[in-house]
Amino acid sequence: MPDVTLVIDGQTVTVPAGTNIVDAARVAGVAIPVFCYHPKLKPVGMCRMCLVEVWTPKIDPVTRQVVIGEDGRPVLALMMGKLQPGCVTPVGEGMEVRTTTPKVRFAQKGQLEFLLTSHPLDCPVCDKGGECPLQNLTMQFGPSMSRFDYDDKIHFEKPIPLGDLIYLDRERCILCSRCVRFQDDLAGDPVLGFDNRGRAWEIISQSDPPFDSKFSGNTTDICPVGALTTADFRFRARVWELRPTPSICPHCPVGCTISLDMRYDRLMRVMPRENEYVNDIWICDKGRFGMRFIESPERLRQPLVRKGDALTPATWDEAMTLVAEKLNAIRTHAGAAALGGLASPDLPNEDLYLFQKLFRQVLRSPNLDCCTGAPGESEIVDLGATLGVGKGTNLSNLGAGTAVLVVGADPEEEAPLYVLRLRGIVARGGDLTVINPYPTKLDRTPARVLRTRAGAETFVALALLKVLIEENLIAADFVARRVQGLDDLKARLRNHSVASLCEAADVAEDEVRAAARAFAQASNGIIMYGRVALAVGTDLIDALADLALLTGHAGSPNNGIIPLIPGANARGALDMGVYPGAGKKRGLKAREMWTAAREGRLRGMIIAGMDPVRDNPAVAEALDALEFLVVQDMFLTETAQHADVVLPTASIAGREGTFTNAERRVQRFRQARIPEYNTPAGWDVAQRIARSLLSIGVKPAAPDGQGNGSNAQRTSANAAGATVSLDQWDYVVAGDVADEIATRVRGYADTTYESLGLTRKPQWGRQPNEAVFYDGTSYENTEGVGVQIAADADNPKAMFSLRARVPSQIDINSDRPYMLLAAPRAYDGRAWSRDSKLLPRMVAPHLLLNAEDAAVLDVAPGSLVRIVSEAGSAVLPAQIDRRLPRGLVLAPDVNGAPLSAVQTGPLTRIAMMAHIDETVETR
Amino acid sequence: MIGALFKGLGTTLRYLFRKPVTVEYPEVKRPVRERFRGRHQLKRFANGLERCIGCSLCAAACPADAILVVPAENDPAAPNSPGERYAARYEINMLRCIFCGYCEDACPTNAIVLEHQYELSFYDRRSSILTKDDLLVPPDKGHGEIPPILERLNRRPSPPAQIDL
Repeated sequence: MPDVTLVIDGQTVTVPAGTNIVDAARVAGVAIPVFCYHPKLKPVGMCRMCLVEVWTPKIDPVTRQVVIGEDGRPVLALMMGKLQPGCVTPVGEGMEVRTTTPKVRFAQKGQLEFLLTSHPLDCPVCDKGGECPLQNLTMQFGPSMSRFDYDDKIHFEKPIPLGDLIYLDRERCILCSRCVRFQDDLAGDPVLGFDNRGRAWEIISQSDPPFDSKFSGNTTDICPVGALTTADFRFRARVWELRPTPSICPHCPVGCTISLDMRYDRLMRVMPRENEYVNDIWICDKGRFGMRFIESPERLRQPLVRKGDALTPATWDEAMTLVAEKLNAIRTHAGAAALGGLASPDLPNEDLYLFQKLFRQVLRSPNLDCCTGAPGESEIVDLGATLGVGKGTNLSNLGAGTAVLVVGADPEEEAPLYVLRLRGIVARGGDLTVINPYPTKLDRTPARVLRTRAGAETFVALALLKVLIEENLIAADFVARRVQGLDDLKARLRNHSVASLCEAADVAEDEVRAAARAFAQASNGIIMYGRVALAVGTDLIDALADLALLTGHAGSPNNGIIPLIPGANARGALDMGVYPGAGKKRGLKAREMWTAAREGRLRGMIIAGMDPVRDNPAVAEALDALEFLVVQDMFLTETAQHADVVLPTASIAGREGTFTNAERRVQRFRQARIPEYNTPAGWDVAQRIARSLLSIGVKPAAPDGQGNGSNAQRTSANAAGATVSLDQWDYVVAGDVADEIATRVRGYADTTYESLGLTRKPQWGRQPNEAVFYDGTSYENTEGVGVQIAADADNPKAMFSLRARVPSQIDINSDRPYMLLAAPRAYDGRAWSRDSKLLPRMVAPHLLLNAEDAAVLDVAPGSLVRIVSEAGSAVLPAQIDRRLPRGLVLAPDVNGAPLSAVQTGPLTRIAMMAHIDETVETR
Repeated sequence: MIGALFKGLGTTLRYLFRKPVTVEYPEVKRPVRERFRGRHQLKRFANGLERCIGCSLCAAACPADAILVVPAENDPAAPNSPGERYAARYEINMLRCIFCGYCEDACPTNAIVLEHQYELSFYDRRSSILTKDDLLVPPDKGHGEIPPILERLNRRPSPPAQIDL
């Protein structure tokens, strides 16, 4: 866009054409007061606070030329003869804006006086007080006296709940519509609206349940007054008393940059921290309201040791001695392979690294995994390390010229903030294709929706590949340089036409062709795959990799694949090598460990931060068969109840560490408080176990023996002597572990705490503290935006081969005509939800059926349905979703859903019947 | 030399017959000035509700960081104070307090008043922290009238009327 030069309060600035005056003034360092305008939202010009004098060059009506005055300069005329709202007036060449003239000051005073006529001025009790734009602007621009009588103020009933989480105080509301526009435009949940007129104008929620959005908390941040407050933070503290600690949300693979706002050692609220590479200035409600588990009274306080049937409190010394003796005994009499370890993919990198080091180096066992081994759990097929989005990717800059394929994923439930990111790309002109067997919230975005037959997503991906080949849309240059096996792929697809592949997946051929063309012709291409894609399996993921390769959307910034693997730090777990194939010797997978435990081949286990019994009660039997089980967790989970030793750990508030997000951005979180009940961090627990083992004479493997297999070690760092001290297990702080990760784990060289803290750069606030100006609150990020680590494809010499192949058709089983798919849910009611205000929103176990299927089975909403598979059966209440395709049954994967009893794999064929309650019959 | 001695003793003798300026302190107490700033009290309204709304402005104004306020939400059925918010905890560390009276100035409801009690000694540091129970006046007295000094200066107090009371 051409640039426009204008003068604002005597300063000449050059900004792109189309910029509004408020933004242009910010570039010049001039603050025009605003209420309804927000740089992340479209301007509407509702509050009239930004009125300014706009002088434009006078045009002669006859000659259509600029009138030149006697001094040789254009004659200026006041635009429209009156003040103009700066937020909706675009800049023009030669324009002069005056923001401090008496006329403007008079308008600003009058505007504030009017806004305050119906404002209760209860700042002392208002939670926004101290970070309130209305307060700030009244002090700066407002009149010192009001001519209106206090008794004439409109009074409403004090806060009414807009939902479970957000309270509305209608007296304080200045009707700027920021919240309505955020929900409509950015979040895509148009649940708020205006009601009534005139002085009775008010914000209402239009949804049932009220304010049904996963992003509702953000409206309280951008509310320029205290009208919207969160139930979580109401009257907890004044904002100036808070100590914001930089942290990272531990709930999903987005890894939102957040602040834990502490008062003394109590968590008061969770706020977003600006990071345009990850979450802009937004976070989802799960991150904002789902942190109360940190201070739960149910937290473990000291180690528990099994004495007889009961777990009894013990000291750390007792527990560690017992752990070391038992593990060493098992290792001596049954071999190291009789030991296994499971670590949760929600743990930070430091914990995962030392956990695998404990196993590979000290215990010398290769049996490590980051899965629970439940029957419905899919194999983790990871493209992030090889074809992940290139270093330097920034989704918030992408728009026109970008095509995104979302395959088998429900971002709203798996990684909620990606909904905002993807909607942003579409709003800026990007192209979005959603390939999923069931409707998700992304469908509400203007997107090409390909509703496939469940389990047949691979055929859509293959059809896309076939279109690329047929229509010659292949990025020939990239393929020639870096891709092998194109001829083989063509041969494998020879016998299939686009039409036949589309038919196999039950999607429209022209839509598939349009999607393929859009993706191939876009300059930036991103593929996101999620839980359903993982459930479908390797064939689909291979085809997606080939799609990225053939179109050349790999190995450069803003191009590549974003895998949404379950677990907040699954990326880190894979990078740290917490999976069986990572070492030189292949170990047992989680599922194999359960079999081995039942058969007595596996005798001892350490389970860190994971609760496999919760998802799969059948595991309890395997755990009881073990000689010795150590569980490390924050809570006494169902798994911990089977343990011989339970070790408490600190939450993210009580320690520091790093997480790696889905886009492979490593981010650091800081310690927000002294550890709750003095519990050690997870890495320290691993270190204590290792030290106890070493102290009773266990000989560790040579440093080279411990390794990350495919993640080839940097051998130079292991040169003689240089790292000996690192293998003494003398880490004092988490930074010591991070330093070792930086030298040992491939790609993490630049992720020491020093370098992570150095990645600061001015973000969306073009001016210092711009966020404070617009929102009253500061999203200031002092801890850096993190470091994105390179994928294999970022190396220009890396070669890739095409591996897509046509799977056999899905067999239709007439005995079990329905396909059961576990659907991820953000509000799954698991350990994180303790004490949270989100508890009423937690999804109860149920089945989602198509309306016709329900009619055939004579099932009404809420009635019980029995599902039967080869593995077993379960009874769940049914809910009906008209948009669900026939034959597909969704079972939300939530706490208490008896899925492991039924599932035979990620995709399960089931029979279904209305359940007749036997207790009723006998009565 | 002798003369000087008698002159000095003469002064002593003279003062023997004057009215003493000292008082027998514990038994006799000297009244303090009206504007004397002593131990704090948390006042109530005439209807018995606490004036303190837990806004923490006193704590923010306190130069010695002597005040701790932990707010909470009023139960609408049985409110502690008018409005939505009240102080669930209100503590002043009297060893930290410098009796500057800034908390009085900051208080939007005239809830905290530095009264005339000056006998502040403690057997241990912990008991120097006065809790809300210690500070709050009993419901039947001391209804937190506007301090006389403010009335005399004919200055409007910080406006309690503006907080919908």
